Amino acid sequence: MDSLVSTYSQPAFEDEGYASDELQELIHTKPSSSLSFALPPMPRPSAFLRALTDDHANPNCPIKLAHGTTTLAFRFQGGIIVATDSRATAGNWIASQTVKKVIEINNCLLGTMAGGAADCQYWLAYLGMECRLHELRHKRRISVAAASKILSNLVYSYKGMGLSMGTMCAGVTPQEGPALYYIDSEGTRLAGNLFCVGSGQTFAYGVLDAEYHYNLTEEEALELGSRSILAATHRDAYSGGFINLYHVKEDGWVKHGFRDTNPIFWKTKLEKGEFSNVTANL
Amino acid sequence: MDSLLGSNPTLASNPAYSFSKAPYNSAADNKEHAFYPYTDNGGSTLGITGEDFCIIAGDTRSTSGYSINTRYSPKVFRIGGDDETGEGAHIILSVVGFAADGTALKERLNAIVKMYKYQHGKKISVKACAQRLATILYGKRFFPYYVTAILGGLDEDGKGALYSYDPVGSYEREQCRAAGAAASLIMPFLDNQVNYKNQYLPGTGEGHDLEPRQALPLPRHDVEQLVRDAFTSATERHIEVGDGLQMLVMTKNGIEELYHPLKRD
Amino acid sequence: MRGATILKASDDKTKQLNNHTLMAFSGEAGDTVQFAELIQAYIQLYSMRNDTDLGPSAVANFVRGELARSLRSRHPYTVNLLLGGVDPITKQPHLYWLDYLASLAPLPYAAHGYAQYYCLSILDKHHHPDIDLEKGKKILRMCTDELQRRLPIDFKGMLVKIIDKDGIREMEFDCSKQVLSA
Repeated sequence: MDSLVSTYSQPAFEDEGYASDELQELIHTKPSSSLSFALPPMPRPSAFLRALTDDHANPNCPIKLAHGTTTLAFRFQGGIIVATDSRATAGNWIASQTVKKVIEINNCLLGTMAGGAADCQYWLAYLGMECRLHELRHKRRISVAAASKILSNLVYSYKGMGLSMGTMCAGVTPQEGPALYYIDSEGTRLAGNLFCVGSGQTFAYGVLDAEYHYNLTEEEALELGSRSILAATHRDAYSGGFINLYHVKEDGWVKHGFRDTNPIFWKTKLEKGEFSNVTANL
Repeated sequence: MDSLLGSNPTLASNPAYSFSKAPYNSAADNKEHAFYPYTDNGGSTLGITGEDFCIIAGDTRSTSGYSINTRYSPKVFRIGGDDETGEGAHIILSVVGFAADGTALKERLNAIVKMYKYQHGKKISVKACAQRLATILYGKRFFPYYVTAILGGLDEDGKGALYSYDPVGSYEREQCRAAGAAASLIMPFLDNQVNYKNQYLPGTGEGHDLEPRQALPLPRHDVEQLVRDAFTSATERHIEVGDGLQMLVMTKNGIEELYHPLKRD
Repeated sequence: MRGATILKASDDKTKQLNNHTLMAFSGEAGDTVQFAELIQAYIQLYSMRNDTDLGPSAVANFVRGELARSLRSRHPYTVNLLLGGVDPITKQPHLYWLDYLASLAPLPYAAHGYAQYYCLSILDKHHHPDIDLEKGKKILRMCTDELQRRLPIDFKGMLVKIIDKDGIREMEFDCSKQVLSA
């Protein structure tokens, strides 16, 4: 009986103000590595979050998260090409045209960003931290397989909580050579030669599949990657902005520009005669 | 996988025809009355950087639904200042959306920035503060702060720095950004007048050969005028914007506060 | 009624409307064939009465009108169409894209349903206004290969028809070879 009384006789507002973990945060200014996230006080927080943020199921949801993308990466004899568009949308609103969707995890590992912008940014930064810790602990660089497994295990532990990410990890290591992995928030993790992710993926696949082969030259590969993103920005309204192009080689990645799609589109159309559905005569 | 294709309704729903409707849940059959911790207090904020300064501005109206709560509730704050006046602050933050979350976020960031100074004996850099704010927002990924934040200051080289955020902490450094209720009215104006989007230099060619006008950092006077124009115009066309315009201007000499009245109807 | 079952592997989803106009259709079972046969009858009646064929643009606008009328009736036809034809006078080829909401668009290349998502980007890149039949066949092969590679559906073969100034003919088209993604 005494224990029952003590359970129910706490002051009603005892937990008000800063929660104890928030006080902790003020004392230790660096974020805690225990990864604890605030949850709303209700039986099914994930359903609450979905009602609030899932603009697909509920177009009038109050919090619109940045979404929509085309990203691609493929392996070829000269390494790995990684290319993305740069548009972020929240519903029909274009939130930004200058998003950097290729995340530089370290100087030889790249991650791409599709789905929730914050989810990808945060967890890929976290992955970068884990990779550096691995390096310090083991005195050698982490393999792409291991890095991608860290990420997939991590997002799998949050499955059902509403994380939304479709990312690719690309890197070249001495053990593996060029390696490419696809990881998504459902928990899928796949190694492969070629992936396209996002709302414009089918359009990018169309162009890429038609001309892809492993023995592409570096120049051909860069052009094909860039052209595939262009195709997706042309047909998918949720993709657009700039083409962000990277080439991953043995000695690290090289950036090949962040170029505006509009002049590239007109150049492709006028010089090569492509996009013949765009005409001046009505 | 649905969430990735989320923006493409035809791919997300499975029936075989392009014209089939994506299934949606109607709320008609069972009404749910549950804990709902959010409201939208309207208003708009805006930030622009120049070569050696950074301006963040916000209107001062606070609304709920069609009612006006108050005509002066500031949305732009000094972060890391010494006392109530914010004297000595070197970072500015604007928050728009749900005012209570905004206040909570401001106070939390303020406390963290101060603790940083006391523990490290130096002020936090804007870059570090920007990253820290992202982790604060993401810490509430599953119970978000219902706010859009803009953070400003001067970077290590003394150049104006501006970072914009979504409610769960994805962020990006930009030249200019409008947020809140009238973002869709102000942002296109800023694209054209700050980044010179869709402006071309006359006489440089025909059709696609026309050269786009290169964007250069604007002088402070011009930026202040742009901010005033943005808000007077937004006030004309948005019911949740008006009453007053509060501007914080950050230069190497510190933070200056400016106030301009807006229409009160 | 057992849901998703293949009832016939070699169903011809096209109808010849007159000597040089062909209509391909997809959509609600029943509606498709009923609507296509109705249109076919109208167009054939016109050819018999007037001893001349309607040109492709006239046919397309007529079909659109019928679809628009049906859309406002109690039981609209839910049918998506592609209409191809060669103008008997100018000898110019035409392609029209129509959906069940009676939108009509003249296009150099078109697709309906999932094929749009996979094929339009290929066509954007490889189609040029002055390509010949051989190049056209090559692009078609790229498209069907992509569908076989990426769609999680085995659509049991393709039926290909060519419309040119000499009329309409079926083309031999083998897609029994498995296409795997890289």
